[in-house]
Amino acid sequence: MPGELTLTVNGAKQVVSAAPDTPLLFVLRNELKLTGPRLGCGMAQCGACAVLLNGEEIRSCVTAVSDAVGKKVTTIEGLPEIWAGQKGLNPADAAATLHPVQQAWIDEQVPQCGYCQSGMMIVAVELLAKNPNPTVAQIKDAFTHKPPSPHLCRCGTYAAIIDAVQRAAKTMKA
Amino acid sequence: MSVKIDTPIDPATANDSPIPTTLTRRGFVQVGGALFVSLALPAAFSACTKRSPVASGNQLDPALLASWLEIRSDNTILARTGRTETGTGMSSYYAQAIAEELNVRPETISLILGDTDRTPDGGYSAGFIFGMANVRKVAAYTYQALLGLAAAQFGVPVSSLSVVDGVVSGGGKSLSYGHLVQGQHLDLKIPIIGKLAKVDPSEGSGISGLDGFSVTGDPPMKPMSQFKVMGTSFPVPGIPAKVTGKTQWSCDISVPGMLHARMVRPPTLGSTLISVGVLDKRQFPSAEIVGKGNLLAVVSPNEWEAIGAAQAVAASTKWTEWAGLPGSENLTKTLRERKWGAPSESRGNAAEVTAALAGAPKTISVSYEQPYVRHAPIGPFVAVADVRSDGGVTVWTHSSQSQGLRAQIANTLSVPMEKVVVRWLEHSGQYGRTTFGGDGAEGDAVILSKLTGKPVRVQWTLEEDLAWSSVSPGWVADLKAGMDAKGHVVALHTAEYAPHQQDARLLGAILAGMPCSTSKPRTWVTEEWPYDKIPHVLRESHGMPNLAAESAGGGLRGNIMRTPGQRQQVFALEGLINEAAAAAKADPIQFRIEHTSEQRLIDVLNATAKAAGWKSRQSPHSGARRTGTSPVTGRGVCVVFRNNAYWVGIAEVAVTPATGSVRATKFTIGADCGKIINPRQLDRCMKSGVVMGLSEALKEEVTFDKSQVTSKNWNSYKILTMAEVPEIKVVQISRDDKGFGGGSEAANAVVPQAVAAAIFDATGVQPRRMPMRAEYMTALLKEAAGG
Repeated sequence: MPGELTLTVNGAKQVVSAAPDTPLLFVLRNELKLTGPRLGCGMAQCGACAVLLNGEEIRSCVTAVSDAVGKKVTTIEGLPEIWAGQKGLNPADAAATLHPVQQAWIDEQVPQCGYCQSGMMIVAVELLAKNPNPTVAQIKDAFTHKPPSPHLCRCGTYAAIIDAVQRAAKTMKA
Repeated sequence: MSVKIDTPIDPATANDSPIPTTLTRRGFVQVGGALFVSLALPAAFSACTKRSPVASGNQLDPALLASWLEIRSDNTILARTGRTETGTGMSSYYAQAIAEELNVRPETISLILGDTDRTPDGGYSAGFIFGMANVRKVAAYTYQALLGLAAAQFGVPVSSLSVVDGVVSGGGKSLSYGHLVQGQHLDLKIPIIGKLAKVDPSEGSGISGLDGFSVTGDPPMKPMSQFKVMGTSFPVPGIPAKVTGKTQWSCDISVPGMLHARMVRPPTLGSTLISVGVLDKRQFPSAEIVGKGNLLAVVSPNEWEAIGAAQAVAASTKWTEWAGLPGSENLTKTLRERKWGAPSESRGNAAEVTAALAGAPKTISVSYEQPYVRHAPIGPFVAVADVRSDGGVTVWTHSSQSQGLRAQIANTLSVPMEKVVVRWLEHSGQYGRTTFGGDGAEGDAVILSKLTGKPVRVQWTLEEDLAWSSVSPGWVADLKAGMDAKGHVVALHTAEYAPHQQDARLLGAILAGMPCSTSKPRTWVTEEWPYDKIPHVLRESHGMPNLAAESAGGGLRGNIMRTPGQRQQVFALEGLINEAAAAAKADPIQFRIEHTSEQRLIDVLNATAKAAGWKSRQSPHSGARRTGTSPVTGRGVCVVFRNNAYWVGIAEVAVTPATGSVRATKFTIGADCGKIINPRQLDRCMKSGVVMGLSEALKEEVTFDKSQVTSKNWNSYKILTMAEVPEIKVVQISRDDKGFGGGSEAANAVVPQAVAAAIFDATGVQPRRMPMRAEYMTALLKEAAGG
């Protein structure tokens, strides 16, 4: 039965009414209107729904909303704020600045249909937080071998993603 | 009042132009002002293409039809086309084409794509070159009209005017386009022919008018050599919104009162409903069961409740048993055992080819095959429909053929076309499956909305999509080549056998027993053939209905998929060319050059070979082997000629004979697609096309048992992952003398045979089946090694 749950999403406290077993994905999309994460497989096999939970990439399609209570949820909509916080940007600069991963996705013209790319950027942010200077092999490994599944792109943008992660790494070190 | 346009266009010499261009000032306006460019329908067409006036059709006069272009007083330009963006970058190409002819910056142009009530022309994503020719002509006519306005205002002849970034100068005066239209309501009518898509049983796909309207006449166009915008890497407009989460995708549509639906599908392709399962209202208080025929769903205002309730209802719903499929392991046998009769298409002279083959000193006979594969987007089908009591229907979709979908829905609901509005939004790629306006969740959505009287959102699951969406059929092909004493191919006979790939029916309509489009069980021979020096060629293609076509679900619904027909036929044909080159002990690239006089192909072959570091020699290489636990490497080539574009793929692979594993280590792809519109986006599409091609070459197969598809998730329908992507090199040749060619589609088709040839180079064994997975390769190498 639905009950009230308090979540911290992209830095803001949100009170939502949802059954506790509702996947976080549906709460983000339908209740909070955060449509960056998207439904792909619904069984943690593709990565289209990936979000950060306390900085770790998780699949929101199989994560119960109750498991997100008390933790920090970040979607692509919240990435600019994370970067602004890390760099100590003033509000005016922060409003005009994207996260370097997002900017690299634009500059390298990564998305084709773009459906999977929200999840791809989430992996990139997680990877670069842990490894600021990843090799191509390490990038491939992060997008392929980390449980629960590879991040899949049917348009085949993997080469562009590798270029963009490397570009973002450079920006973030600068 | 009418304004005479000072224009070099002569209606008498314009190609089949039934109506001359006219520019009319409809009136003066207090605020703003604009030049609207709309289509002038010949009288003969107006009856069959009548459209309802719509509020959003025209900024100043809602009673007018949707315009093609609007030149606005604030110096912005709005362009509209029924064609859509499917992730290949078309939205940038359209903006570039319009900007080029108007002499404006492309970023001043915004686009409305795909909405049937807000775009004038129909058409579909697959007809991009046709669509771009259209918008170029629209822009070119508009440019002449703007020059005419400026000439009248400045009191100088058109020939003395020049335009830079939308500012017209002449006679010492300058005005922007915005100033030229300020305070006025101008209406430019341009001549068109054609028709919008409609359900048409005489067509193979059941839909005619796929290309929509086309602009006629010959307005002056800028020569390619003077292009300033086309040929530059103008960024694809929608990307920043996609990257920041601002894009509204078709899965994001929410309308007041909307219900979420989850479908309860039959357990097999042929099951029919016996009894509907139980819905526990205590557990799912807001959910309802809705159904018609074999179409069954659970709806709820809450998506999560709909999901749970649908699963519970499915568990207790009873269906008939059915087993009418051969099983995917028996596919080749099934196709081989069929009595095919005459081919559905044949090209070439059978008697000549038979005689030439009989007279050839050496012949090679081979057979190739591939199982079913599928489009498999990351985002499953989703649609929202609102079927209202007044008879109006609105559908929100990501179909790549909005007008075709509109026709399909009108047909299914038995309502006039003008009652149906289709709104297009971005979503996962389709890779061809919605080209004929069908497949998809839209059928489910309109039927459920009609039954409930409320807007309904239907979200398919991945398992549902992989089990029930349309498929690219499996095939077998027999090929025979005759070679002369010098090893030159003098005759070729190919015969392909496959279920057809033009079934555009909406699944919901099939299951509900409502009217559907029809399709014909025919296949086709791909027209384009790069080897003009092979004198005698006979190519035949045999078609048949869907496997299990007679079942309640329509069987395995065959549909086109990226580079359709040619993707399959190239694998076999280029395989034969590679095998003939090996038989002639010739270098495979040199062998191809000897069989063509097409300099474009020769140039792109040489350029790609150079980029790949290709050394001329025969295959297999001297160190080739069929056994051993260490990898052995090889390289192979494949060529595609499609849609005025020449493609070359050079694969490098490492094969581990003991395990059968094949790893692509490098891929070099070259293309001459005429004038390149956007080099960076072409680079992206070429590289991503290689990924899709490698995926098909090495991994993909739809499996099914006797009742249903069994490859229903990403663990059983495997596609390429990032770790499997090799180094990819790109070679682009742009030229100003051959028009525009298809610049991204065929990138996938040039891959699989290059991989097969590379495996042959490494092992001396030619794979003749996709996918070239380890289990197939192990068996093949074992067999070749003598068990």
